[in-house]
Amino acid sequence: MDEFQEILQDFLVESFELIEQLDQDLVELETRPDDLELLNRIFRVAHTVKGASSFLNFDVLTHLTHHMEDVLNRARHGELVITPDIMDVILESIDLMKTLLNIIRDTSADGGVDVSACVARLDRCVGGSGEIKTPVSQAAPKVEEEPEIEFVDTEDDLDYENMGADELEAEIERLLNQRQAEDKVKRAAKKGSNASSSEPEEEFTEEDYEPTIKVPMTVNPTPKPASIRDSSDSDDARAAAPAKKQQVVEQTIRVDVKRLDHLMNLIGELVLAKNRLIKINDDVEERYEGEGFLEELNQVVSIVSLVTTDLQIAVMKTRMLPIGKVFNKFPRMIRDLSRELNKKIELEIFGEETELDKSIVEEVGDPLVHIIRNSCDHGIEIPKIRAEQGKNETGTIKLKAYNEGNQIVIQIDDDGKGLDADMLKRKSLEKGLITQKESDNMSDKEAFTLIFKPGFSTAATVTNVSGRGVGMDVVKTNIEKLNGIIDIDSEVGIGTSMKLKIPLTLAIIQALLVGVQEEHYAIPLASVLETVRISKDEVYTVEGRSVMRLREDVLPLVHIGDIFEVERILDSSEYAYVVVLGLGTSKLGLIVDTLVGQEEIVIKSLGEFLKGIEGIAGATIRGDGGVTLIVDVIAIMDMSKRVKTKALKDTTSDAAMSTREKTKASDYAVMIVDDSKTDRTIMRKALEPLGITLVEAGDGQEALSILKQGDYNFDAMLVDIEMPRMDGYSLAIEIKKYNRYKNLPLIAVTSRTGKSDRMRGVESGMVEYITKPYSADYLASVVQRNINFKSEFLR
Amino acid sequence: MSDKLKQVISKQRKHEEDSLKRSDDIVQLVGFVIGDEEYAVPILAIQEIIKPFPWTRVPQVPKYVVGVFNMRGAVIPLIDLRLKFGLSPKKHNEETRFIVMRHGDDIAGFVIDRLTMAIRISKSKIGPAPETANGDDTAIDGVGKQEDRIITILKVNKLLERDF
Repeated sequence: MDEFQEILQDFLVESFELIEQLDQDLVELETRPDDLELLNRIFRVAHTVKGASSFLNFDVLTHLTHHMEDVLNRARHGELVITPDIMDVILESIDLMKTLLNIIRDTSADGGVDVSACVARLDRCVGGSGEIKTPVSQAAPKVEEEPEIEFVDTEDDLDYENMGADELEAEIERLLNQRQAEDKVKRAAKKGSNASSSEPEEEFTEEDYEPTIKVPMTVNPTPKPASIRDSSDSDDARAAAPAKKQQVVEQTIRVDVKRLDHLMNLIGELVLAKNRLIKINDDVEERYEGEGFLEELNQVVSIVSLVTTDLQIAVMKTRMLPIGKVFNKFPRMIRDLSRELNKKIELEIFGEETELDKSIVEEVGDPLVHIIRNSCDHGIEIPKIRAEQGKNETGTIKLKAYNEGNQIVIQIDDDGKGLDADMLKRKSLEKGLITQKESDNMSDKEAFTLIFKPGFSTAATVTNVSGRGVGMDVVKTNIEKLNGIIDIDSEVGIGTSMKLKIPLTLAIIQALLVGVQEEHYAIPLASVLETVRISKDEVYTVEGRSVMRLREDVLPLVHIGDIFEVERILDSSEYAYVVVLGLGTSKLGLIVDTLVGQEEIVIKSLGEFLKGIEGIAGATIRGDGGVTLIVDVIAIMDMSKRVKTKALKDTTSDAAMSTREKTKASDYAVMIVDDSKTDRTIMRKALEPLGITLVEAGDGQEALSILKQGDYNFDAMLVDIEMPRMDGYSLAIEIKKYNRYKNLPLIAVTSRTGKSDRMRGVESGMVEYITKPYSADYLASVVQRNINFKSEFLR
Repeated sequence: MSDKLKQVISKQRKHEEDSLKRSDDIVQLVGFVIGDEEYAVPILAIQEIIKPFPWTRVPQVPKYVVGVFNMRGAVIPLIDLRLKFGLSPKKHNEETRFIVMRHGDDIAGFVIDRLTMAIRISKSKIGPAPETANGDDTAIDGVGKQEDRIITILKVNKLLERDF
């Protein structure tokens, strides 16, 4: 849709809304002709429509509304009493206005309706002479384009009779008739040419004019004998009309955002109800297997769930607007500015289909206007200078919008003179915005941000376009309000590039859902280059970092579990999946356990309380009602570089989780790992008096699998060193690999007494070293100490 | 007779006024237990009280932020008050509830051990927070005394404040 259409659309939506209100007001006015508030309201409608239509060059409409305005203005100043006669005229003029608006909606041009008679009557109401020269001259050229005016004219004739004629009116009528005759001739001529030149579709349009003109006429509250006759033939044609209208104009309706939010909440409830329904359906299916009604129930449930999902997406999408809505006004602005500034500027727009939440689209408009004005005024040089510098005389401004990670980036590039950091500092110093010291310590990049300081301007003179030092300040405030950031890059003589990075609070994106252990994460699909399945031995370690060979390249790897501190309890199969993430030139392989699938997700913010969590861009609600976190790819790339050190730092944090509150002695669990049954029994006998839960394992392997099952939360382990299959040291090392068990006290119970053995024990993570033989009391006390056994449980 | 009637009426009116005045001074709270202590928050700050349901863990947050959950389309943080108050974690049981509290635009769910009751308490029975917990940083609004027990009244805005 081009720019004019866009404005026209807004104008029409607004006008029809105003008129809807107007009808009610007028009806009220008839009962309370002295109500000033009402009159004012009606006046404002006429005024608004007049203003907008003159701007859009709808001369006939402007002409009509102008005269309406006159009458109403007098009425509201008390210079004119609204008599039923005057009311008739006002109502008629409003109906004409509607007719005109309908025509504008269908054809994007006004005309085709003779307003002169009405204007004359309006004029007469305010005591004017009823001179109607203007309407004749104004309406006539329009009529050439839209010749179908017959009905209105007939009606006008009848209205005259209703009005009761006087001398003046007789004169008007004479003039009118004369003009009508002229029109008819013109129309005939036009029709002839139309028939030869126009396509069939256009003919259809012409036929349609009858109803579109007629419809508002028939609802005119003023009784008119003529309308009865006319409505009969309009009714037939009306059926055909709407279909045509929809083709011409995009149908829109303005809705309060609050209502959409409310709708959203209701749908949320519906989704939860749907999920329960599905669950119940599953239960019923199990219980009444093979029953006839199951099939039907199944069908209903699946329809409900399908429709609910669609409904949810549909409502979410009602809030999304393409950023093109904002971009579209810029070509015109650039044209005007380039003329004003005597520069040659071209605007290139990319990515206008990028969708943003409505609230954001509304907020970014102003900042963009300021940035683009700034680029035109200060960035792009005048053609002469450009030519001297060997640049193309025509400067280019590029406006781009795209998704990057959890942000929408709007990039404004110009190939103008660029920002001179030193000059910016000097100017700021002059204006006292920064101190000498600040200026000395400022990097170029920091200096660029000076342009956002309130009161800052590099322009020598204040022009119409800029130089007041307000605009860029507005940019900063508005973007910050959206939690966005502004990134400026500039090179003297080459140009300036400004990036507005705005978080997308409600954007719908495609995501790849991945699983790690029991958790799911969503990765924006835009950042996913590919996925590969690898076996564990394809992973190499280079300088402490995992890498793999992907075709010709070496790809750095990081496990998603390491980034998001996922407890790795179940060690999955020997295969893993690598999601290759790409951002700009950097690549990273993210190891995940499973690939779940691709889904369209809606990004929701985690809210004020949890905002700014590194690596998380937001959350989304899945079909099952659960929350899935969305990965912030940019941040992950950063984090992957230091994730190793992080894992080490985190040793204590998991301890709190695994210690459950103990309310009785048997809440404590200790595992005894020894290959000798006798030794195990000795240990059991020593510990049984404490009343704690004891679990036995015959070797390291068995102990590990018991741990992995997670049936018990062990508070300590007694480990023999010499065991088949897996010895105590290896077991300790394995156990310490699990985040969860990093702080599990491992007590070595062994007959090896050598110093080197003890050292090995410490190295592998044993906290105590008990040498056989030992006394039962000693063992019990060591265990008690290590599991923080509460003395009140002692019997 | 008519005098008597007037007397009765004025008495009634006075009574009504009294009760009105009294209701002005009464705070309605919802009491709950965490660990061994009873706490309460103003009933108007509570959006809803729900039985525990699945949540999603969020990385890189203090342990007391157990995750986020979906409340009819909104993603809401879930905070375990046991952990926040320095108690050891406890498995959720039949009595565990999530209390969703709101203050302005801030909203969060809190895990509590169990609910006690809705409490009507007159303002006069609410004492200030203990000296040791005074200042701007405390989450304690005051201490309510009722018959045989003491209830710590919490500041909802403090609970909803991010402190990491």
